[in-house]
Amino acid sequence: MKKFLILTLLTLALFITGCGEDSADNNTLKVMLGSNVVSLDSAQATDLVSFELIADCIDGLTQLDAKGNAIPAIAESYDISEDGKTYTFHLRDANWANGDEVTAEDFVFAWRRHCLESTKYAYIMGAGVANIKNADAVTKKEADPSTLGVSAPNAKTLVVELTAPVSYFPALMTFPAFYPINEKFYNTLAAGTYGTSPETFLSNGAFMLTEYLPGSANIQLKKNDSYWKAENIMLQQLHYQVVSSSDNALTAFKNKTLDLVGIGGNQIASVKGDAELSKNLKIIPTGLLQYLSFNQDPKNHHAGALANVNLRLAISNAIDRESLVNNFVDNGSRATYTAVPLNFAPNAETGKYFAENQQQFSEFVSFDVEKANRFFDAAKAELGQDTFDLEFIYANDGGDTVIKVVQAIKEQIEKNLPGVTLNLQPMPKAEYLDRMTTNSYDIAITNWAPDYDDPMTFLTLWTTEGSEIAEHWSNADYDKIIADCTTGALAANYNARWNAMYDAEKILLENAVIAPLYTNASAYLIDDKAKGVEFHSVAIERVFKNVK
Amino acid sequence: MEKIYTPQKEDFEFIEGRNINVDTNFASQGYWRGVFVHFTKNKFAMTGVFLVAVIMIFAIFAPMFSSYAYDEIISVTDTSGKEIVAKALEPQFAGGAENLFADKTFIFGTDDVGRDLWTRTWQGARVSLIIAFVAIFIDMLIGTSYGLISGFFGGAVDNILQRFIEIAGSIPTLVIISILAIFMDKGIGLVIAALLITEWIGMSKIARAECLKLKEREYVLASRTLGAGSFHIIFTQILPNTIGPIITQVMFSIPVAIFTEAFLSFVGVGIVLPQCSIGSLIEAGFGNITILPYQILPPITVLAILMLGFNLIGDGFREALAPKLENM
Amino acid sequence: MTKYIAKRILMALLTLFIITFVLFVLIRIMPGNPFPVERMSAEMIAQKRLELGLDKPILEQFADYLKLLASGSFGNGTSLYNGAPIKPILIKCLENSFKIGVLSILFGTVVGMLIGIVAAMHKGKFLDGLCTVISILGVCIPSYVFMIFLQYFFSYKIPFFPYFFDSSRFLFSSIMPALSLSLLAISIIARFTRNEMVEVMNSDYVKLAEAKGLYGWELIRKHILRNALIPIVTVIAPLVVDLLTGAMVIEKIYGINGVGKLMVDAIAGQGVDYNYVLALGIVFSAMYICAMLVLDILYGIIDPRISLTAKDG
Repeated sequence: MKKFLILTLLTLALFITGCGEDSADNNTLKVMLGSNVVSLDSAQATDLVSFELIADCIDGLTQLDAKGNAIPAIAESYDISEDGKTYTFHLRDANWANGDEVTAEDFVFAWRRHCLESTKYAYIMGAGVANIKNADAVTKKEADPSTLGVSAPNAKTLVVELTAPVSYFPALMTFPAFYPINEKFYNTLAAGTYGTSPETFLSNGAFMLTEYLPGSANIQLKKNDSYWKAENIMLQQLHYQVVSSSDNALTAFKNKTLDLVGIGGNQIASVKGDAELSKNLKIIPTGLLQYLSFNQDPKNHHAGALANVNLRLAISNAIDRESLVNNFVDNGSRATYTAVPLNFAPNAETGKYFAENQQQFSEFVSFDVEKANRFFDAAKAELGQDTFDLEFIYANDGGDTVIKVVQAIKEQIEKNLPGVTLNLQPMPKAEYLDRMTTNSYDIAITNWAPDYDDPMTFLTLWTTEGSEIAEHWSNADYDKIIADCTTGALAANYNARWNAMYDAEKILLENAVIAPLYTNASAYLIDDKAKGVEFHSVAIERVFKNVK
Repeated sequence: MEKIYTPQKEDFEFIEGRNINVDTNFASQGYWRGVFVHFTKNKFAMTGVFLVAVIMIFAIFAPMFSSYAYDEIISVTDTSGKEIVAKALEPQFAGGAENLFADKTFIFGTDDVGRDLWTRTWQGARVSLIIAFVAIFIDMLIGTSYGLISGFFGGAVDNILQRFIEIAGSIPTLVIISILAIFMDKGIGLVIAALLITEWIGMSKIARAECLKLKEREYVLASRTLGAGSFHIIFTQILPNTIGPIITQVMFSIPVAIFTEAFLSFVGVGIVLPQCSIGSLIEAGFGNITILPYQILPPITVLAILMLGFNLIGDGFREALAPKLENM
Repeated sequence: MTKYIAKRILMALLTLFIITFVLFVLIRIMPGNPFPVERMSAEMIAQKRLELGLDKPILEQFADYLKLLASGSFGNGTSLYNGAPIKPILIKCLENSFKIGVLSILFGTVVGMLIGIVAAMHKGKFLDGLCTVISILGVCIPSYVFMIFLQYFFSYKIPFFPYFFDSSRFLFSSIMPALSLSLLAISIIARFTRNEMVEVMNSDYVKLAEAKGLYGWELIRKHILRNALIPIVTVIAPLVVDLLTGAMVIEKIYGINGVGKLMVDAIAGQGVDYNYVLALGIVFSAMYICAMLVLDILYGIIDPRISLTAKDG
């Protein structure tokens, strides 16, 4: 027993020697992350957190300014061919952190690698998004990677060949899939280790990794002195801390442990009651659409009741979206009645967001119990049944908000459409994704954030090919409009394309392929010293380069 | 002279099939009657019974007599036709609060979704008690028998049984329950099944350890000399003497079961919303612990009272079953 | 004894092999793919399974995996940290969880036994009641709720400890998680110690010892504690494994890179990461088996009456 006591005392002594004071640095910004970084390898990253960190460390051809417009980054300038199908980027003199020059070859290498290795974002190079020549064939391993429509005639020139014009191409280049990777450096690494530690990750951007381990809760970055615009970077250190609970985040902010944290509805209410703290509160609208996905496969295990359009319309019109956002989400999110969410894809001429007019499709998406019941009666007559037992699945990693929202939706639908029962089925993310792809669900709550600043980032989700992964809906007219707008005749005609996309959205909503719920907003508490953090609704959520 | 009678061999006969347990010389009141008398005399034990009974009565009747259903989202429509939900309200009584719900009573307040926490706490207590009782009771039966058999026979039997425990205990609970979820619907049944598969191991360890200690004792030897069979010794001689540590283990298994269930809900394989349990209420309250502490207090308090009650009952049982302790 | 231990170690290796196989098969039955399938078409999924060799017969896959293990590697991750070797990450996480686990065991055992002894010596009196209440509260309050309290009071109200885990001040920032983790251990150990001691104190040999004039610490150490130790050691052994294998929620709250979090991420993440679940399963089992082995040997040392090698009971 005595030995135990001595041991304990010794350990205590060790603690005390171990304690020192934290060096508070004014040039250090400590930022909260809501979830773990999936991967720093741009071919493996699938989430906004990973994209943000990659963008901290690596500059692509272009970058977004504070207003969300594409401005030059590694590409000093670019030329577009007459037919809009060939882009020639002229690279500036920039270096990797190890002293190597950033060359056009680094881009060619990274893009080819992306086609071969990426899973979720393989499509972004191909037809429908970037339209890069041969991208789909390379992805399917039907063509040699060298045939990909990107080449480097010399170290400072990058030529990209497209199959059809892409109006948003320069802005698309801000997406991490299009960032360069230093080939020489990459080849020195053991297989699979790229981006798993500070030693295996090379920056050419504003910051570089100093402490990182996959899955770690604490990530540290410091200013990269060899960045091409290093003199403009004021921030010396950028620290990230993964915090899983909003409650904990709020205390960490009050404690000045973190300078920028994200909080949820309850915390916002508490912050609003505090005169000091409420000055630091900032609500940032995002482009993330939360929606219900209806499985329309008639072979679905519930005999495909949801293949009936009237049943889907009934459900969509029985949801009180205003009540959802005001009572349950409660963080500044906005109810959405269109398939393309708010806050993103401004028209090049008018500057108005694509989804500005939320009443446009109110005939099909609204909150109207009477109308919902008309659809419901029609559905009951067509299907010859009065009660519907539907399985409503959700992933348990979506945080408190999703859990609140699914319960509210269950209550609303069961109240407004007597006879419908929604069975809530929570499940781990892996099982949830598996259920969606293997077609074994009725209704799922899911979300999508825009990858590029164009409505197509949403509309392509529901083509015959796209909805094979979830909704199993197919409509020839819809597919034709999408094909015309992406690779066909309308691709080069901005206004005609813009209007055609509304037509497509109408087909989508009159068939109630999905039920849009709300466009998400993020609530942040930002310390006064963190001025100049830029927020975007597309791909890269937060940019810290210009913090003063 | 009268002849003194010398007993003859014929005067004696073997008693066939007599129960060696029955000692007619000291037979007085029944064993369990004695236990009952000891138990009811114990003030602490009776306090425990009272506490548990109170919680049970509330768990059974409070949801029945509440003006709200446990899964009912309480809301009003304001003048502009907007739906306002009674979410995250502090405890209030009708007429005492200045909000849209002034006419309503929420003894424990409301949760994030606008449901009455009073009703939910008791509903949760009901669900948790069912889960804990069923799972722990069966676990106790399986675990104790397994441990006693393993410890008593020793040697090869022990070796095989212990290796099996190592294999069974090494499969992570989450793996087991994910696989179970393929065959069963998610909900209380699945949680109980998962607890059955994982929780008996601890119980069997305790039983085995006790058995190892007791099987070398003199009274076991005496019993054996009298010709008692192995199972007779295990279940009538050793088992009653292991009851103390097993009861202590059962007491600790109850909150472990409740929290395991909460953890399973957290990962997405536990009970299904809007159903609730003490564990899931603690889990939910935890998300607002610094700004809305009243949400986590009721479930934790109910759990603490239950635990205190069970522990007092457990101690009472130990003492009543082994009366040698009582004169201490 | 040596022969017995050698036999047990051999047996442990065999058990570990069986566990590996059982886990290997079970993990493949689990719902979900070993990689994130978000927006992947059926062909892409099939292609990916082919790449990972998941189309081969299961025994062949198992043989491949054994070869990997024999070469001293746990293979590469499949979804968690896509394609990176598992070993370095596993070692780092084990290190973190281990250090905190050891601290909490140390603390839990010492404090738990002290409380138990004090309670037993004052059975039926106020101190006994107090100790009972402490041990009951310890089981009722989940360790993560206690963690939040500690964090709130000792990092926020009185900013003494770091608010999040800081690996550069390892020991200092381990105090709060270790304390909150040890809460359950304290309760269980205190309770068992008290009950066992009360039982032993009633036995005739203790009364005899008392009659001979032994008292105080001497009596407790030589006669009571030694006899009460068996069930106590039995509860400590699995607790040790529990504490060493990490606590997911505490690791999450305090931002510790530990194995508890790693395991949950591997099972409940975007894809079920077969290789991580396997690697962690094997490591955990090995620890568990070791603990049980030590336990059995300890039984013999603490109480010489117990012989595990005996053929018949």
